[in-house]
Amino acid sequence: MDLTHASGTLGSVDDPTELAAPQGAALAPPWPTYDPAPFYDELVGSDGTPRPSADALWNHFAELGPDGLAERQVAADREIRALGVTFTVYDGGVGVDRPWPFDIIPRIIPRDQWQIIEAGLVQRLAALNLFIDDCYHEQRAVSAGVVPADLVTGSPNFRRECVGVDPPGGIWAHICGSDLIRDAEGFWYVLEDNLRVPSGVSYLLENRMVTKHIFPEMFRHYSIEPVDPYVGRLASTLASVSPSTGDPTIVVLTPGIHNSAYFEHAFLAQQLGVELVEGGDLVVLDDDCVYARTIDGLEQVDVIYRRVDDLFLDPEVFLPNSLLGVPGLMRAWKAGRVALVNAPGAGIADDKKVYSYVPDIIRFYLEEEPILWTIPTYRCSDPEARARVLGDLANLVVKPANESGGYGVLVGSQATPEELAAAAKEIEDEPNRWVAQPIIKLSTAPTLCDDEVAPRHVDLRPFTLMGPDGAYVTRGGLTRVARRKGSLVVNSSQGGGSKDTWVVDSPSDTALAGGPA
Amino acid sequence: MTDDLLGAEGDPGNGTADTRRDTGERNTVEIDDGTGDLEEGRSGTMLLARMAEAVYWAGRHLERAEGTARIVQVHTDAHVDLPVGEDVGWEPLLAIAGVDSEFAERYQAAAGPEDARAAEEDVIEFLLHGEGNESSILASMTAARENLRTARPVVPREAWEACNNLWLSSNDLLEEAHTREGRVRWLRRVIAGCQCIHGILLGTMSRDEAMSFLVLGQNIERADLTTRVLDVRSDSLHAPGADDPYDVVHWMAVLRSLAAYQPFRRAMPARPQGGSTLRFLLQDDRFPRAVGACLTEARAQLKVLPHSERAQEACQNASMVVASAPVARLTVGGLSEFLEDVQLALVEIHERVDDTYFRPSFVGWEPTVATR
Repeated sequence: MDLTHASGTLGSVDDPTELAAPQGAALAPPWPTYDPAPFYDELVGSDGTPRPSADALWNHFAELGPDGLAERQVAADREIRALGVTFTVYDGGVGVDRPWPFDIIPRIIPRDQWQIIEAGLVQRLAALNLFIDDCYHEQRAVSAGVVPADLVTGSPNFRRECVGVDPPGGIWAHICGSDLIRDAEGFWYVLEDNLRVPSGVSYLLENRMVTKHIFPEMFRHYSIEPVDPYVGRLASTLASVSPSTGDPTIVVLTPGIHNSAYFEHAFLAQQLGVELVEGGDLVVLDDDCVYARTIDGLEQVDVIYRRVDDLFLDPEVFLPNSLLGVPGLMRAWKAGRVALVNAPGAGIADDKKVYSYVPDIIRFYLEEEPILWTIPTYRCSDPEARARVLGDLANLVVKPANESGGYGVLVGSQATPEELAAAAKEIEDEPNRWVAQPIIKLSTAPTLCDDEVAPRHVDLRPFTLMGPDGAYVTRGGLTRVARRKGSLVVNSSQGGGSKDTWVVDSPSDTALAGGPA
Repeated sequence: MTDDLLGAEGDPGNGTADTRRDTGERNTVEIDDGTGDLEEGRSGTMLLARMAEAVYWAGRHLERAEGTARIVQVHTDAHVDLPVGEDVGWEPLLAIAGVDSEFAERYQAAAGPEDARAAEEDVIEFLLHGEGNESSILASMTAARENLRTARPVVPREAWEACNNLWLSSNDLLEEAHTREGRVRWLRRVIAGCQCIHGILLGTMSRDEAMSFLVLGQNIERADLTTRVLDVRSDSLHAPGADDPYDVVHWMAVLRSLAAYQPFRRAMPARPQGGSTLRFLLQDDRFPRAVGACLTEARAQLKVLPHSERAQEACQNASMVVASAPVARLTVGGLSEFLEDVQLALVEIHERVDDTYFRPSFVGWEPTVATR
């Protein structure tokens, strides 16, 4: 794809000045002291003026003034509290329900950029699905030397129980939450592919709802891609993998009300108009079918959008003491009597070691060049890479290869000498568990902090759906923002905030994510 | 660019030939062979037993929160109407809420014998949010909120939001309930908030099985509350012929605590006194808080639920107990015993609902299914 061309064409469609809010005299900038340097800022250019797509927003905030902005933030917080949008944080083993942290200043992405990202995400998920399917069948990628055998069969996420299973359309990962970041030049990278039980989409939808209520005026100045269609696409993706011919019975399986993402589970079940079940609500009978305990007896279930991790799914096969799962569920799935979304074993493709092979995986299965960049990744299991990592630890990010949620991540530049030494020891003791990446100077976005608007680092989690009938990417995604100055940790489980993300019909002024790294 | 990027960008390469396995037919296991064809069971709305239980309890707790708030409010008003010394104190409120012993445990153990009467502040605190009172207004609202939270997928979003909001504001503003004046405001907010939730449910919720469980819970709780309000008055009925100048005030308070004063006036020619009030609150079939009407409504909801025969039977039995009440005789004695019979009949309905839909005996349905 010719990226320059894509941007150039779309860039000429709209004159950015038309998007500016109607106004009399030129307004003073809303945040005179705002200075994101040395980072790339999502809304403000290096000369301190708004990017073309942020022009109207800039003017609107200038009119509102700091008090107006603070008032809107209070209104947003109040609404989120009233809506009961919560996120559970674990503190000393106790789960505390906190209101979802939301920063009202939206992040804007021009549509021409988004279209490329969208294509890149679909390409990536298509290749990862082919890889997963291959892992549980011939393992062609191993025999062709694209990935080492150990990457597949040696992975803690490889599920022997899945070997030989053929889910509909060969799709294993139907729902992917990708983490994207931008570097100091504004280039986009994929940081992670979350293929197990990615969460956050409900917050993306709720953020938009709140923004509509607190900034209704702004929707007049922008043509913003709606985010709501996700739910309908999710419903049709789920229905498309049903093993039965009639109208499928779909359920969302949650670990229960104490899970950190319970709000989202309930939200999705409500939006989809399906039941929210816990393990105890389901039973697998001798006919290998899954049934729900309803007030009218047992009713067969066709599709389970499960938000329970693999290992808790079926105590007959995995953790025998799991109370969250359903005994016999794997049996039912392997017999093709029920669809599990995402399929068990899909996590094989989202560990951080596989991540480093994704460009090759895309080339191997699709015979295409990757559209989105991948961050160079050192695999500590490789002696040469390990030596380089240990020699340069202070300038790298060290991550456990198989964890998610930002746990166990060490940012070398921000670590104390003791932490660095401890990390070095862990890497030497268990090199297999660790990977390292150069520190990317994450982009920033203007964020309301106490009484001032200041640059804070952001990432982006779009959601991609893939079924036998097609794929869909959310328009924009969930922008997560690190609320502490200089912090790079945006994970909600680590206290990060969030922003509404607008994909708008206005041209981009920045180079786009390009070819392979 | 189309939505179906995969389609637009081409085949991903492994042959997306549809490998879906069509099992051809699917099973819907019916408990009762007589309930119709298999297709009907597939037509969409299923209601998990666990969800049914959650909405049922949400209905009960919402009703309890509102009912208790009304009673406290009306008692406060009536208290003002009575000369000092003639008032009945605050204990009756504890009796209505059924928490006298819990209260005694918490408060009176500490107080000396000279404090024979429970202090207003203590009673109010206990009823509104007292620790150790599981049916305080706040505890009921918390329970209603938790149940609605569990049942979010089957109740309208706005209803959950209204409940969450009411719960938040009631907690935030609890401080103000410590004065009589602030208490009135706090209680009014609770009553209006509960009414708002009911309104949302009535106006936006499909009349599906989940709704039936909610309305069922609501009506069983309502009937129970009405009997408890009446029971407290039964004490002062035992002095036949005694001419209590405040009798009318007391009976008006009874009616008002059940929002029944105006409907009573419209329906009954008599002035509020024992017989007419009892007849109205027990046997009226049109006033939604009269025990008879609650039972009629409960039975109507049960009728649309599957496997409800036993619960319906209990409901019918309770209706008969109420309909056959010897009202005139009850004004001079035996009211308390009679009301206890009604309460037992209500408990029986609950237990049968519980057995049929929520309890482990439900699991006993499995083997029947497994052998099919």
